[in-house]
Amino acid sequence: MAKTRIKAKEKKGVVTVKALAKHDMLSIQEANRAKKAVNFITMMKAESAGAVVFQMESTQFLSKNPYVKFSFPGKAGDNLTFTWVDLDGKTQSDTVEIK
Amino acid sequence: MNRRNFLSLGLSAVAISSLAPSLLSAKTAEEATTFVKGTAWRAASKTEDAIKAVFGSSATETKKVKIKAPDIAENGAVIPVTVESKLAGSKVAIFQDANPESTVAIFTVPANGIIDYSIRIKMQKTGTVTAVVEAGGKLYSASKEVKVTIGGCGG
Repeated sequence: MAKTRIKAKEKKGVVTVKALAKHDMLSIQEANRAKKAVNFITMMKAESAGAVVFQMESTQFLSKNPYVKFSFPGKAGDNLTFTWVDLDGKTQSDTVEIK
Repeated sequence: MNRRNFLSLGLSAVAISSLAPSLLSAKTAEEATTFVKGTAWRAASKTEDAIKAVFGSSATETKKVKIKAPDIAENGAVIPVTVESKLAGSKVAIFQDANPESTVAIFTVPANGIIDYSIRIKMQKTGTVTAVVEAGGKLYSASKEVKVTIGGCGG
């Protein structure tokens, strides 16, 4: 799948991350109607400076091209790696530097 | 944190490996349904049952959890929802009662984590979105009714 778009900015010791994953997120109903395979992201996580800073298990009810925003205590210059896993078992991992 | 990470990796690995034969191929609606029904929190259709499945008990309404969502969603396929709380929570979950199953997402909050999550969800019809935070063994929740004019699951 395409890269996840990630923006990670630090302000006063708190890093705010906005991530936009590219994924159709077809729920069971939608897939049936469109006659396509069901597939949706089941888990997303983010790591920075060796620790997991964000972890979410998700369902078919997230919007297409899921957007997430989260915050954690961190600092600019560190890396942020954002990973998602979907129903098919595919994973997509992207890393950005926190500004 | 490492253990939680490992455990959740293990959980998703188990969930995925239970569909092992077609691991790398597209899922049929049947297989997806099996996946969904296979986990209690994914399968629960009523918000109350889902909360019990995720956290193990029922929640209490409180001002300590803030949920932000539009009063009226122009597009049921993209409804922005934000959960904020100053509590030192360990787990946060979002539910709604307009779709076949109630749970939408579960966040595992790392130690020193900040509870300020925004996501975009789909709702088939008008319903109530509920956010529950688990902190110190207790549950706190907040909910908001969202009116949906055009359904979010493709119709």
